[in-house]
Amino acid sequence: MTRSTPFGQIALALAAASLTTLCAAADPIKIGVAGPFTGGSSSMGVSMRDGVRLAIDEINKSGGVLGRQLVAVERDDEAKNERGVQIAQELINKEKVTATVGYINTGVALASQRFFQEAKIPVMNNVATGSIITHQFDKEPENYVFRNAAHDSIQAPMIVEEAIARRGFKKVAILADSTNYGQLGRQDLETALKTKGVTPVAVEKFNIKDVDMTAQLLKAKEAGAEAVLTYGIGPELAQIANGMTKLGWKVPMVGSWTLSMANYIDNAGPGGEGARMPQTFIQEPTTPKRQSFIISYLKTFNPKNARMDSPVSAAQGYDSIYLLAAAIKQAGSTEGPKIKAALEDLKTPVEGVVTTYNKPFSKTDHDAITANIPVFGEVKAGKVVYAYADDQKKASVVQLKK
Amino acid sequence: MQILTQLIFSGIALGMIYAVIAFGYQLTFATSDTLNFGQGDALMLGALVGLTLVGLGVNYWLMLPLVCLFGAFQGAVVERIGVRPAIKIKSEFGWIMSTIALGIIFKNVAENVWGRDDLKFPSPLPESPLKVLGANVLPMEILVVGGAILMMLAVEFFNRKTIYGKAVVATFNDRDAAKLMGINTALVITFSYALSSMTAAFAGVLIAPLTLTGATMGAVLGLKAFAVAIIGGLTSGMGIIVGGIILGIAETTTGFYLSTGYKDVPGLVLLLIVLAVRPAGLFGKTAIKKV
Repeated sequence: MTRSTPFGQIALALAAASLTTLCAAADPIKIGVAGPFTGGSSSMGVSMRDGVRLAIDEINKSGGVLGRQLVAVERDDEAKNERGVQIAQELINKEKVTATVGYINTGVALASQRFFQEAKIPVMNNVATGSIITHQFDKEPENYVFRNAAHDSIQAPMIVEEAIARRGFKKVAILADSTNYGQLGRQDLETALKTKGVTPVAVEKFNIKDVDMTAQLLKAKEAGAEAVLTYGIGPELAQIANGMTKLGWKVPMVGSWTLSMANYIDNAGPGGEGARMPQTFIQEPTTPKRQSFIISYLKTFNPKNARMDSPVSAAQGYDSIYLLAAAIKQAGSTEGPKIKAALEDLKTPVEGVVTTYNKPFSKTDHDAITANIPVFGEVKAGKVVYAYADDQKKASVVQLKK
Repeated sequence: MQILTQLIFSGIALGMIYAVIAFGYQLTFATSDTLNFGQGDALMLGALVGLTLVGLGVNYWLMLPLVCLFGAFQGAVVERIGVRPAIKIKSEFGWIMSTIALGIIFKNVAENVWGRDDLKFPSPLPESPLKVLGANVLPMEILVVGGAILMMLAVEFFNRKTIYGKAVVATFNDRDAAKLMGINTALVITFSYALSSMTAAFAGVLIAPLTLTGATMGAVLGLKAFAVAIIGGLTSGMGIIVGGIILGIAETTTGFYLSTGYKDVPGLVLLLIVLAVRPAGLFGKTAIKKV
C-alpha cells in the first residue's frame, strides 16, 4: 500500500488542478497499451502508441471518463509471442488495467489475449489483421476480443480485386514471408484469387532478414508474372523492391497494408514507388476530424518530414481509445463484463478518424471495419497518397460500417 | 542460360557477403584455436558506426579506415575481457560463452544507441545495375567481391611472407614452443582478435548498402558465415572464398529450381557432409593433435 500513496497524491493534485468535483479524486482508469515499440514492426507500434497517447491526452483535457483520468500503461512486446504473454499477465495481475488496446502482430495477439479473455477484460486490437483474432473464442459464451483494424479476409480480396479486376493483370505471383502473418495472408490471397478463377503463376516464400530475393523474383519473372502480390513486413518488402531494381524487372507491387510502412518506403527508395495497398486512413485532411488529428499529431510528435511513420496505425490507435472511452462511459463502470456489453451495443455513434463508428460491434460481430471502408493507397514521392483521385474526392463522405 | 548466369552471379555476390564475414572467424582460430562468436555483432557495430559517420558527413571511403580502427579496438576489448581469462586457465569452453555473452551485450548496446529499426545505408556507388554476360549485377556487389578477394590476399600474404605472420603461424602450431622462442603469444592473440573484428567491421560497411543496417543484422549473417568457415576450412583463405561461393550459389539455385521454402537446406546439408567426411573443411589442413 505504500506505493499507492504517492500515486493517490498525484491523482489528487491533478484533480485539484483541473478543478473538477470531488469524485475526480478517484484513481485514474488504467488502459494497457501493448505493441512492438522496437524492431522491424516498430513503425506501426510507435505510431499506434502515439495515436493512443494523443487520444488519452485529449480525453483527459476535457475531464476524463466518468470524472476519472485515463492513464496508459505502455509495454513493449518486441513482436515476440512470449513477451506478449508476460505483458498480458503483468497488465492483468499487477497493473490491474480496465482494458487493453494494441497488438500489431497477429501471433502476439493470439498468444496474449487468452489471458484477458480469462480475466474478463476487454481487448481492442487496433492494428493486428489476422482473420482469426476476433474468432479465437467464438466457442465461448462471452468474447472479450474486439478489433478496429481491417482484417486479412477484407484485405486479401481487395488486393485481388485491385490486381485482377481493376488493373486487368492475368498472371500474378505471390511473395509472402514465412511468419504466421505472411502464410495466413498467402492462404487468404489464394482463396480470393480462386473466386476470380485465377491461379497464381508462382507462390514464393522468404524469411525475415533475408538479404537476397533473386531466386523468388526470377521464378516470378520466368513464370511471366505481370504483378507481384505481397504479404510481409517493411524491411523484407524493401528487399523485394530492391531486388526488382537489380534484376531490371519492374512490375507493379500490390500487397497488404504493410507496404505503407516507413521502413519499406525508406529502404526501397525510388524502387519502391508505385506500390499499392489497402489503407483505412491516408494522411490527408479530408474531413475536419482528420485534419485536426493530423495537425495535433504532427505538432505533438513532430515526425521526420511531417510524415507519420504509419498513418493507419496512428489513426486506429487513436480511434481505439475513443471507442473504449465511449463504452466505459455508457457502462458507467470499469468492470470488464459491463464494458464488453456496452461495446456490443454502443448507443451513440463515436466520431473517429477512420470512420464514424455507428454500432461498430454486436454480440456476434467484433470487427468494426468492413470492406467498404479501406481505400487504396500508393507510395508516391516517399509518402502514401490516394491511389485513385476518385477515392480522394469521395473521402470527405465518411464510409460507415455496412 | 541467362537465368542460370543470373542465379550464379547473385549466388556469388551473396556468398562473398558471407565470405567477408567468415574471414574474421579464421583469423582468431589461426592463433588461439578460439572463435569469436560475437563476429556477427562486430559486423553490426562496424556497419552502424559507419552509418553514423556517413550521417555526420564523412565521405564513405574516408570512413572505411575509421571504422577499421574502431573494429580493431573492439576486437582487442573482446579478447582482453572474454578470451584471455579463459585461455589463461586453459578452459576449453569458457571463451565460447564469453564471446557469445559479449556479442549479446554489444547488440543490446546497439539497440539502445541506434534503435531496433532497420536503417538504409546510403550506397557510395550508383544503384542501377550493370549488364554482365546478360545478367544484372549491382556495382556494390562487385565491390564486395573485390573486397573479399583483397582480404583473402592480404591474409595469405600476411601469414606467409611477413615476420608477424610467421609469429601468428608459430603461435597456432605450438603456443608454448612459440613462447619459448621469444614470441609474445599473448600479444599475438590480442592482435589477431583486433584484426578479426577489424575485418568484421570492414565487412559490415562493405555489405551494409546491400543488406539493411540494424542491431539485428549480425545474427543470421554471422551464422551463415560460420557455416562458410566450416565448409571452406578454418585454416585456409582460399577455402573461405570457395566455401562462400558454394553456399551462395546453393541458396540461389535451390531457391529457383527447387523451392524458396527450402533454400537454406542444401548449404546446411553440405555443412553436415563436410563435417562428417572432412572435418577440417574442404581446403583446411588436417591438424594432427598429439595427446
